[in-house]
Amino acid sequence: MVLRDRRRLRTKLTAAGVSGLLIAGPVALATAAGAQAAPAGSGSTLRVAMDSSGVDTLNPFLSYYNGSFDIFGAIYPSLTEIDENGVAKPYLASSWKLSADRLTWTFTIRSGLKWSDGTPITASDAAWTLNLIMHNKIAATANGALVSNFSSVTAPDATTLVVRTKKPQSNLTYVSIPISGIPIVPQHVWQSHVADLKDYKNDSYPIVGYGPWKLTDYKTDQYAKLDANPTFFQGAPKYDHLIEQIYKESDAAVAALKAGQLDYIGGVNATQFASLQHAQGVTTAQAAGNGWTAVEVNPGARSRSGKPIGTGNKALTDGRVRRAINEAIDKKTLLAKVADGQGQVAEGYIPPAWQQWSWKPSAGQEQNYDPAAANKLLDEAGYKKGPGGIRIDPKTHKPLSFRLGIHSDSSTDPAIATYLVGWLKEIGIKLTIQPMSMTALNSDLGKGDWDMLMDSWTSGPDPSSLLSIQTCGTLPDDNGEGGNTDAFFCDPRYDKLFAEQSTVFDPAQRAKVVGQMQSILYDADVDDLLYNSTTRIAASSKVTGLVTGQARNGFYPAQTTFWSYLKAAPAVRSGSSSGGGHTLVWVIVTALLMVLAGGGGYAAGLRRGGVDDRE
Amino acid sequence: MSSPVAVAEPTAPAPAPASRTRRLRVPRPGYLAGKLLSAVISFAVTLIIGFALFNLMPSDPVRTMTRGRPVSEAQLAQLRVQLGLDQPVWRRFLTYVNDTLHGNLGYSWEFKQSVGSLILERVGPTLLLMGTAFAVSVLLGLWLGMRSGWRAGSLFDKVTSATALTLWSVPTFWLGMLLLVLFSVGIGPIHGFLPTAGMSDPTLPQSGLRHYEDVARHLVLPALTMVLVVYAQYVTIMRSSIIEEKGAPYLLTARAKGLRDDVVRRRHALPNALLPSVTMIFLHLGGLISGAVTVEAIFSWPGLGDLTYQALTVPDLPVLQGTFVVFSASVIIMNLLADLVYRFLDPRVRAQ
Repeated sequence: MVLRDRRRLRTKLTAAGVSGLLIAGPVALATAAGAQAAPAGSGSTLRVAMDSSGVDTLNPFLSYYNGSFDIFGAIYPSLTEIDENGVAKPYLASSWKLSADRLTWTFTIRSGLKWSDGTPITASDAAWTLNLIMHNKIAATANGALVSNFSSVTAPDATTLVVRTKKPQSNLTYVSIPISGIPIVPQHVWQSHVADLKDYKNDSYPIVGYGPWKLTDYKTDQYAKLDANPTFFQGAPKYDHLIEQIYKESDAAVAALKAGQLDYIGGVNATQFASLQHAQGVTTAQAAGNGWTAVEVNPGARSRSGKPIGTGNKALTDGRVRRAINEAIDKKTLLAKVADGQGQVAEGYIPPAWQQWSWKPSAGQEQNYDPAAANKLLDEAGYKKGPGGIRIDPKTHKPLSFRLGIHSDSSTDPAIATYLVGWLKEIGIKLTIQPMSMTALNSDLGKGDWDMLMDSWTSGPDPSSLLSIQTCGTLPDDNGEGGNTDAFFCDPRYDKLFAEQSTVFDPAQRAKVVGQMQSILYDADVDDLLYNSTTRIAASSKVTGLVTGQARNGFYPAQTTFWSYLKAAPAVRSGSSSGGGHTLVWVIVTALLMVLAGGGGYAAGLRRGGVDDRE
Repeated sequence: MSSPVAVAEPTAPAPAPASRTRRLRVPRPGYLAGKLLSAVISFAVTLIIGFALFNLMPSDPVRTMTRGRPVSEAQLAQLRVQLGLDQPVWRRFLTYVNDTLHGNLGYSWEFKQSVGSLILERVGPTLLLMGTAFAVSVLLGLWLGMRSGWRAGSLFDKVTSATALTLWSVPTFWLGMLLLVLFSVGIGPIHGFLPTAGMSDPTLPQSGLRHYEDVARHLVLPALTMVLVVYAQYVTIMRSSIIEEKGAPYLLTARAKGLRDDVVRRRHALPNALLPSVTMIFLHLGGLISGAVTVEAIFSWPGLGDLTYQALTVPDLPVLQGTFVVFSASVIIMNLLADLVYRFLDPRVRAQ
């Protein structure tokens, strides 16, 4: 009996505890919510959605993700910056000159700038950072390739930085630019972390740096908090605080913008853009795209030594088949239907955002949508139609049936793929769609186990990186390991031009060489470029001064450097961007929800007490 | 009145009264050892499955991680060595087993920090969201199930069951987005009032009462979404077991004693009907730590479900293996506990 009573008491206590919590919850919330109306922090706050890739690490020597780069661009300086034409302009370096042999660069470092802890910024900070990346394998993790042509970097005095290169390097002024280049870090802070660089998380806030902003807090997987640097040499940001909030789901970010909980989204998709164009309190803008969407065709995967690898269909090594495929694709329709017309049909390999490298096919070189011509080309090449209207390869006697790998997490790939299947059927080619994760697709790509793949790339202001993935040097070794090739394209003429453009210093001359390279790629039908989507921006109407770029014939995507957040200004200065004005409604609803959930248990508990007495 | 356990006795083979009290408290050592052994074996098997599953997956972590960055051939090769991808699979397996047994979950390729610290950072938010949703859905589900089962066929029963099953069939993603639009953005003249993302407002202080209120505010929508989608399973299981108990002779006895209908239900039917629910509660308890990918994504909740998903895209094998170990261990431990607790709750299990 004693046992029984004790148990009952325990049950009763539990019931009372749970009910108590459920009742106390809303009450506590209500009380606290009442206090919520007080202004949040002091000064104005710009709330932006962080790049969807997020932050991998705040250690700039190890990071690969755009979310981190955006922060580095805001809190660490770089030697140069880019202007609105995509051309390098002074930042830490106020000027630079190149020696007659084109191997020695002398940068004059701006004097009088100070790290956020008050220590002066000198040339030796820059020299130390670059030397560390050149000589320490761990430090080279993220940006090693950018300094691979450096032979030495020295700082003879506080305002002089001398960089010597092994071979002439025309893109040297792009090596250390905000966001996509190398950030310069304070030597006095980092030299004690060289030993544990691999594990150093760089998370003592505020982080010592220099830039338009100062990072005061970062909560893993939630947000980064930045404060304006009033002493920034280009002028202080117009907002006092900047918050980069992580939105894992872009539709939620769009909802937040509509709800007034977010002020700026740097990249929305075509559908979201269309809905935001008519939303109240939201302004939208488009900038010329800095990337392209393409379908790759396997021209015969092989290793660096020329050994064929992988399971690609041999018929695709025939340039005529690849040309027919390219001609069978109606790119205008794809742009209109898949990208909602927001962009342009792609022609040059370098995206239209970087107009200094723009290239257009010459008269007679253009490839237009022409299924009749494609059919004729295949007929003449001896690919006769077999059963079901599918053409047969005269050499292997196998039907022209190809795999098309698409990204399973992409919203546009499936739509494009559906069109491609129909269009290629018209010229007697069968496509089988294979949705894959990005990593599985990359794995198949590297091994050459593919026929056609959906592909997309973006480029920074310097084209070297995007051009390099088409060189023979990126092919894998004989075991199919290593390598970084985009689509197994390899052409000695292209490689020669690639080497040449890196040593041509006159921008117009270099653009001409880059144009010749684009022409070779255009004719190869390996990367069938479909369209260049615009970069789409959406912001609260309360924010003015945002750098938005231009939709056509314009240059810069919005946040390629730190402009946007630096120039953004509050239209009306107010303490808090999102109001706590609906406190009452929220209290009532929460209370209702809690009561709905806990009411039963609570009522049961009360009644139980009564019954016990009666028993 | 009788205790919940004692009530069940008429249907159970009665053990000898003398040995009863002793067995009630302490399970036989053999039984315990057997259960422990099977738990250890399960864990060993999951270790192997976890490794095989993630390593056999076609993937190229180095290319995927560095995509879009200007990386040289030498850099990629160095990265492959750094990640241990140049080693044969059997050696990687041995390292993994050795590390796991020493409590070391490895080093994340993607986030450049130890997997243990990555999990620790997210375990709190995960348990907060999952625990709240779990507690509310269990209480709500069991209570509604008990009520509707007792009066099966009534209007209350019909409405409750239909609502629960409808919500159960609704896609989580769709429901979450709907609630987000409804309560955060607002419809027409009604403005939204709940936050859209994260678990706290960065402009508010990150400690003290206001912080807790703020977190609670952020918790409402994700927890509500979870509750609405899962509470139905507790309703249905409770409802059916109450219906089963309803015809039992011992309830007739209870009624014959003149007890009110409410008391019969609560004191006599409920304890016995709870048994199947207990099994389910423990099963779900073990899974709480793995989070909820969809809900975490919609409301940008910093949980373990989303971490696992992010790791899968690279794939960040150490993170995947690490979370897999933690998730499996949690399920195995909870099942073990369920086995043991069951002996106290149900004398029939004890007698076997």
